[in-house]
Amino acid sequence: MDAGQIQELLSLAARLKDDILHDRKVSAGRRRTIGLLFFENSTRTRVSFEQACNYLDFRIVNFAGSGSSMNKGESLKDTILTLKHERLEAVVMRHRSSGSAQLGQGYFGGPLINAGDGQHEHPTQALGDALTVLERKGRLDGLKIAIVGDVMHSRVARSNAWLFSKLGSEVRFVGPRTLMPSSMGLLPGEVHYDLRTGISGADVVMCLRLQKERMTDGRLSSIGEFRRLYQVNRATLKWAKDDAIVMHPGPMNRGVELDDMTADGPKSVISEQVSNGVFVRTAVLKWIFEDGGAN
Amino acid sequence: MRTVFKNGRILDPSQELDVIGSVIVEDGQVVDLGEDVEIGEFDEIYDCEGLWIAPGLVDLHAHLREPGGESRETIKSGTQAAAAGGFTTICCMPNTNPPLDTPSLVDFILDKASSPEAGGIFVQPIGALTKGQLGKELGDLAALKMAGVAAVSDEGGPVQDASVMMRAMEFCLQLDLPIMVHCEDLNLSEGGCMNDGPTSAMLGLPGIPRSAEEIMIMRNGVLALNTGCRVHFMRLSTWGGVEMVRQFKYLGAPVTCEVCPPYLTLTDEHVGEFDPMFKTTPPLRTEVDIDILMQGLADGTIDAIASDHSPYAPFEVEVPFEDAPMGMSTLESALGVILTHVTAKNVLSPLETIRKMSTAPAEILGLDAGSLIPGKTPMAQLVLIDPHLEWVFDATRTFSQGKNSPYHGWSFVGKPVLTFCGSEVYRDSLFNEERYELAME
Repeated sequence: MDAGQIQELLSLAARLKDDILHDRKVSAGRRRTIGLLFFENSTRTRVSFEQACNYLDFRIVNFAGSGSSMNKGESLKDTILTLKHERLEAVVMRHRSSGSAQLGQGYFGGPLINAGDGQHEHPTQALGDALTVLERKGRLDGLKIAIVGDVMHSRVARSNAWLFSKLGSEVRFVGPRTLMPSSMGLLPGEVHYDLRTGISGADVVMCLRLQKERMTDGRLSSIGEFRRLYQVNRATLKWAKDDAIVMHPGPMNRGVELDDMTADGPKSVISEQVSNGVFVRTAVLKWIFEDGGAN
Repeated sequence: MRTVFKNGRILDPSQELDVIGSVIVEDGQVVDLGEDVEIGEFDEIYDCEGLWIAPGLVDLHAHLREPGGESRETIKSGTQAAAAGGFTTICCMPNTNPPLDTPSLVDFILDKASSPEAGGIFVQPIGALTKGQLGKELGDLAALKMAGVAAVSDEGGPVQDASVMMRAMEFCLQLDLPIMVHCEDLNLSEGGCMNDGPTSAMLGLPGIPRSAEEIMIMRNGVLALNTGCRVHFMRLSTWGGVEMVRQFKYLGAPVTCEVCPPYLTLTDEHVGEFDPMFKTTPPLRTEVDIDILMQGLADGTIDAIASDHSPYAPFEVEVPFEDAPMGMSTLESALGVILTHVTAKNVLSPLETIRKMSTAPAEILGLDAGSLIPGKTPMAQLVLIDPHLEWVFDATRTFSQGKNSPYHGWSFVGKPVLTFCGSEVYRDSLFNEERYELAME
């Protein structure tokens, strides 16, 4: 997606948000049938797509990875082809493998919305985050965005880096060397291993979820070590701009990525991110049908 | 039966021969060759003007998948693919199901390979180094050697325990049996599916660091140096690996090594947007690695070029990148790739190209192949190569069942057009029929 398309989507989302908050009907046109295809567990993303479909008056077909034919050994290709021939008009897909959305799109033919593919991308999360920052800051151009934590395993980090840099923000990746890919040259952002320099002067501090796995795969010795070096809290947040906002894509480990006071404090926009997630997903679903199914 | 290959460019590295001349084959054996041979009477004649006449190519490293992997390849389809690629002798890897760790399986492969339906070329089985290729206990290596394996290897599931490898080398030294090693520290590569670099970071794919290969080259090189066992390093992919092999050779370790066409032509950037055709092990690296691998080929550090033919069934490849198998189907593109991207760039002369793809691999494992010297091989093995033929590789139209080629749609200059192994076993559709004449009775 280019910057123009992203902006178009963001303004559509803002408009729909206004309509929804004022109880104006946003659905238009035919009732579409949307497949929600979650091969990997998700609560917030799935619910938020369901809610978006509700606003648009679309029908939902739910398909979870477990309890489905995938458990009987059916391949991703055949699952997607089946859904295509069952005449679903669009598919929202989450899958554990990077690149699976693109692969699925090839077999599905029609619109396939990536709701997270492995460690690759999570575009609707980034759109929601962008709408949140835009509402708070009035612009994205020229902002300093620090993405903090487990960059290596984060699709949120990658999608946000692409989206914010395309819209003129300056992106920084901050995290320990064991959770930062060794060569970041193709990703749009500056790498910092030190939290202080990483978030110094930042307008937005975006924390990433730290998975417990990282303690067992030898990349971190303990949660305490991570907290000591990378926790965003009242003390460390002083290094960012005075009016910096704090974000987290969830689910959050309270007391790890953020301390309670920051997570619930005035700088936190975490609940707005969740609400905006619904509005951007409404916009995406509306847009793909009105724009002739462009991905 | 007297067959004449007339007026071609004879390239035979086993006798440092590069002349325009003819090769005479009688009853399946080379009897004379050179500039001034008497052509005399003949039963059939091939006019080789403008073509190269070379010993049939020898592949140190192919996967024929049988037994157990017949949906990927069979001995029949794999040997046909090899013949079409200009190969007359290929070594097949032991990672079949069951693994090639008993003499009866060696017999099975040799039987299948010599059946009339097969490609008409020689198959040289490589035995499993450890029981079940599990890396724990040594296999019955003496029995395998007596059954006819030319070397042993645990291939893609390399021995991790250094003490197991050291004992294997001591035992193989006694048996005079070379060990072929795929160098990979499985702890370092665990979960990885492509080179650890900017592309893997961008795609969010777990990377395989180059140290996974280099550390094992170092370990195996040290063990070869200290035990004296012959060790052949398979499919080098890193510049560091080349430098280490160079050093081990300098120190006098009995080591040899090979590189495979993909590592000379493709980088991790070719993975592009998750294209599983570019997934292999070791993973495709970078331009710097290609440069040093090319240097290693030119200066002799790298002894041989092997195909690493690793066919897969289509359904296995039509999956997310992380789930896709590692390997490429390469027998039918190997020579085209090398002639176009190595020989034409003057990294190797035509004679050196044939050395790396025929004479040297035969010498490494002591195979009866890779030479046109009369009587040197039990059967005449030769290939006619048209060095100027421009062609486009079409992976959908191969003898191999594995259509998983990274080279589909690539243009090459230079192609094997006729393969002869005792008798003609492959004639390409681009071979000009006017070149062939049968004597009239």
